[in-house]
Amino acid sequence: MTATFAMNSPDPGAAALELHGLTRRYPGVLALDGVDLTLRPAEVHALAGENGAGKSSLIKILCGADRADGGQMTLFGEAYAPGSPLDAIRAGIRVVHQELHMLDGLSVAENLQFEKLPRSRLGLLDRKAMDLRARELLALVGLDDLAPSTRVAGLGMAQRQLIEIAKALSSRSRIVIMDEPTATLTPRETDRLLQIIRRLRDGGVTVVFVSHHLQELFDVCDRVTVLRNGRKVATQPMAGTSTDDLVRLMVGRDLAERAPRRSAAPTAQRAPALRVQGLRYRGQRGHAALDFSLHYGEIVGLAGLVGSGRTETVRAIFGADAVIAGQVFRDERPVRIGGPKDALAEGICLVTENRKDEGLILDMPIRANLSLASLRAVSRSGVMQADAEADAARRMVSKLQIRLASIHQPVRELSGGNQQKVVLGKWLLRAPKVLLLDEPTRGVDVGAKAEIHALLERMAADGLAVLVVSSDLRELMSLCDRMLVMSRGVLAGEIARAQFDEEAILAMAYQEYTRSAGASCARAA
Amino acid sequence: MLTPTPSAATAAAPISLRQKSSAALREAGIGVALVCLTAVFAMLSPIFLTSSNLTNIFTQISINVILAVGMTFVILIGGIDLSVGSVMAFSAVVAGTVLKLDGLDTGPAIGLALAASIGIGALCGLANGAVSAYWGIPSFIVTLGMLNIARGAALQWTQARSLYEFPDAFNDFGSATLLGAPAIFLVALALVALGWFVLNRTVFGRLIYAIGNNEEAVRLAGHSVRGHKIAAFVICGAMVGVGAVIYMTRLTIASPISGIGFELNAIAAVIIGGTSLSGGRGSIVGTLLGACIIGVLANGLILIGMSDFLRQMVTGFVIILAVVLDVYRARLARAVA
Repeated sequence: MTATFAMNSPDPGAAALELHGLTRRYPGVLALDGVDLTLRPAEVHALAGENGAGKSSLIKILCGADRADGGQMTLFGEAYAPGSPLDAIRAGIRVVHQELHMLDGLSVAENLQFEKLPRSRLGLLDRKAMDLRARELLALVGLDDLAPSTRVAGLGMAQRQLIEIAKALSSRSRIVIMDEPTATLTPRETDRLLQIIRRLRDGGVTVVFVSHHLQELFDVCDRVTVLRNGRKVATQPMAGTSTDDLVRLMVGRDLAERAPRRSAAPTAQRAPALRVQGLRYRGQRGHAALDFSLHYGEIVGLAGLVGSGRTETVRAIFGADAVIAGQVFRDERPVRIGGPKDALAEGICLVTENRKDEGLILDMPIRANLSLASLRAVSRSGVMQADAEADAARRMVSKLQIRLASIHQPVRELSGGNQQKVVLGKWLLRAPKVLLLDEPTRGVDVGAKAEIHALLERMAADGLAVLVVSSDLRELMSLCDRMLVMSRGVLAGEIARAQFDEEAILAMAYQEYTRSAGASCARAA
Repeated sequence: MLTPTPSAATAAAPISLRQKSSAALREAGIGVALVCLTAVFAMLSPIFLTSSNLTNIFTQISINVILAVGMTFVILIGGIDLSVGSVMAFSAVVAGTVLKLDGLDTGPAIGLALAASIGIGALCGLANGAVSAYWGIPSFIVTLGMLNIARGAALQWTQARSLYEFPDAFNDFGSATLLGAPAIFLVALALVALGWFVLNRTVFGRLIYAIGNNEEAVRLAGHSVRGHKIAAFVICGAMVGVGAVIYMTRLTIASPISGIGFELNAIAAVIIGGTSLSGGRGSIVGTLLGACIIGVLANGLILIGMSDFLRQMVTGFVIILAVVLDVYRARLARAVA
């Protein structure tokens, strides 16, 4: 057997995998809402949808990392309910993850087979068999020239990606799921990967393909399933579908009615609180640089796909990560921000994306979390003033309506929404002039979300300059005065509130991704 | 939508009351263990509870208490200091040299010796902290290096000889008592109180705990994580400097081979006292109780006639038992919450 994936093709009419009414509920969110889906043997099936549409939840359930709350799955006619990733691998379903999990210190051959290393009769590692098998697998993904003994640590992302795919093929996978496999690849590497995907399909494997790069979906996929808000919107052949059709399906025509907001004064009449000129963050693509300004009293949205550089931008402004180039102006005065300390001194605060790892100290009391960025205000010559700290904490608790039993309670015990309010409160205690927020309502229940929105609007009305990053386009559309749209590290456009249009914004967000591989190659050159 | 949900608030109340006192509860648990241990030895040995034996115990644990106070700071930020014993020897021989300088009156000589000892300790701590904080090297490795450096320095400084014949006023302090309590234990208690104040009442202490829990959150709140980490090592080193002088007053000599293994005793006291090796959780009071447990165990086991070797084994078991119990306590807390 030369090609492991050349399974005996089952009868072509039968389904490889069928999902019926698959449902997954997280606290406050219905991630998957009765999804039906049929994958055919030997097809490349695109899974499309906006951020948060349910793609990741679906993949997690398919590969055994999570369990559905309802619905059935049938794999080649047999009931399929993986209890662990190992079950899924045994059943022949394999995921090539967005973030690769490789053992850097080990060789390519070892990484390919570490789940089942070949043994000699004495029970020792059979190196010869391991190398031989590794060569076979590497040949499958076009890495014929890579020595199996090479250490993974020295390899680039593209090679790692291909090795991961080869690994997926090592265990007689019948279904291979690729989650954003091209995100880190160059155009040429992408072309090669797409070729391999076609070969896999021709060998009888079903490939599920997820990518923000719509062009790739058209290049390689046979059919597409679009998810929106946890529901399946459509499954249709790729041929006969246009990019516009696809975007429309992903966004949906039924735009929710958004509540009218305070009428913001025209931007031009307000003084700029923050201006960014030629900003380049570490890892930014090509020669792109960012220029924009943020005025007092306005809420500006920073829209774009996950990975388009929104988080990097706000972190760079705050000094959380190093900046390569560019200048930040506060009140039209150039300022040097070498770290969070400098940003805070300039009245700039950042609510980070990841509140558990970066925002909160979960095991410490709520009052200590609230005062963490204002310790000087609640101490005298270095000695904490317990009363002052408690007063400050209570002020924020009532201002933000944080629901708690006591300010001495560890913040871990609060719900997601209330934890997020604690993060907000920590910064509000400093009375910021510029507030940057990265996904401020992620994992927050609907009620707390509305309260956070109301709070931001009130504070903007009081003159605060607010920049919000969010993957929830509707949130940005209801909250913001104008929107900046990022696409692959580039500021793709700016839209005023009067012109807000979901399709137009998404078209901008996809702008740099929908260019064909050749075009973006030429651009980079 | 903006009215608080009363159910959420009331549901959270009992949990919070328990959690709020979890640190106190942990200390109480260690205290109970200490009392039980004392009771057992009091029953087994008529000598154990006599005042002379208690004085003996307090004298014996004083050095370890002082070292463990400093060690608590380092472990709270998620570090460890293995160089304590060696640095103590180095501090001691330098202090001994100062004490024996010609032409100095006793008073100034003692003051200068103390300053030199603390200075050497703090410098070694500064080196430990700076190297591990700036290059991101685990403090385990850096302080392992310092363990050898300081020991070598101590031996080189004295050409492997011990220093003795210090002023009487100096030597007498090691056996002095105040209101019936050994003076050196009172010094240790004073340092415990100071450590408690710094950790529980100052901005610095707050940040030590915060860094041990979540460095990144502290950095993003505009504080210097490196600075505080280095300071924790400097404090540990300064405590070693004090400990070195106190130890000299007890032994009336300064030996370059003293203090071997002292770091392990200090770490054991901190761990038995409930401080988490991964940082961010623990207390000075726990450390004091931990040192007491080690001291009572060592003393009591001698009184009931256990051999040196068996005593060492028992101490080892107690260290492991303390950590296992702490794992269960944490699991229980999580299960209930």
